[in-house]
Amino acid sequence: MKLLHNDYLQLAVRLIMGGLFLYAGIGKITAPMDFASMIYNYKLLPDGLIGPVAAAIPWIETLSGFCLLAGFRVKDSSLAISGLLAMFIVILIISAARGLDVECGCFSGVERKVGFLAIFEDLLMLAGALFILFFDQVKLAPFTFFTGRNNS
Amino acid sequence: MRQGDGVKQNDISRNLDISFGTVLKQCLFLIIIACLIGWVINYQLLSKSFSGELRIEIQKKQLADLKVKAKQVSPGVKFIDLVSAKKLYDEQQAIFLDARSPEEYAKGTIYGAIGLSIMSVVKGSVNIEKLIPNKNALIVSFCSGGECDAGVELAEELAGRGYTNIFVLGEGYPGWRDAYYPVSIPKRGVDKL
Repeated sequence: MKLLHNDYLQLAVRLIMGGLFLYAGIGKITAPMDFASMIYNYKLLPDGLIGPVAAAIPWIETLSGFCLLAGFRVKDSSLAISGLLAMFIVILIISAARGLDVECGCFSGVERKVGFLAIFEDLLMLAGALFILFFDQVKLAPFTFFTGRNNS
Repeated sequence: MRQGDGVKQNDISRNLDISFGTVLKQCLFLIIIACLIGWVINYQLLSKSFSGELRIEIQKKQLADLKVKAKQVSPGVKFIDLVSAKKLYDEQQAIFLDARSPEEYAKGTIYGAIGLSIMSVVKGSVNIEKLIPNKNALIVSFCSGGECDAGVELAEELAGRGYTNIFVLGEGYPGWRDAYYPVSIPKRGVDKL
């Protein structure tokens, strides 16, 4: 339990999660059609909703990732990321159960099919996001360093 | 400890002692801001989505991507368009192979197509030579359109086993079905024979 309250571990998890989500979000922002195409492949949304979802999710990932990296609004961002990851896990499980053989669309430049590995990765990231949400005291953060104030 | 440090410490503690309700509210605010930014920047994507153009554009893009990928990975693979495939189908000149999973095949396929999932071929659970003894037979493989590459993989596998006349129907079963060509719900695929 003592390890969970270690400031450096909390900082490391936050930076890793922030970096991952910033990368994931920017990759999707730069190629919105590719992401829309991946959402379409899941066959879970009506056509009218593919565009709005494809336009919104990358920005949620990017803003949340940036906030985690900056150490700003950490709890809010980790909650948003936890929600996204929980949603992704449910979608991946449904898709795997339906036998869909499509790209998961998790990260740009990474070819990963829907399946156990993608679900496991998301579960690992969800554990990271929940760790930040419940244990991170945000004692070490770039934002605190610049402003001298903690806003998380 | 100096007085200033104490005030700063209290400030941090107060900030950390926030309720879950506040976090949830601020989280929703962050999500709303992100959505608004995304929707304003990608307003064209949204309008295409609402008008139904987006699905057609995605299908075209996926097919083009699949052809580019197939050219790089397996240059020998030849594609056939819907109209030409239908002509071969009507003339009963070609054998249609559904490379999708048995579950997808069972939900609906091209009428008369044989369910031969790429996994069953790779695992060797199906004897293709027994199923199609003529190595010069005209074969059309397909899957779920541009979004999947099982059709290309099956064509590649068959070419590797000496079959010479293999085409991939890029539009796949969804394209065939949407063109109102004959479809059926089969009883069982070759995988379960």
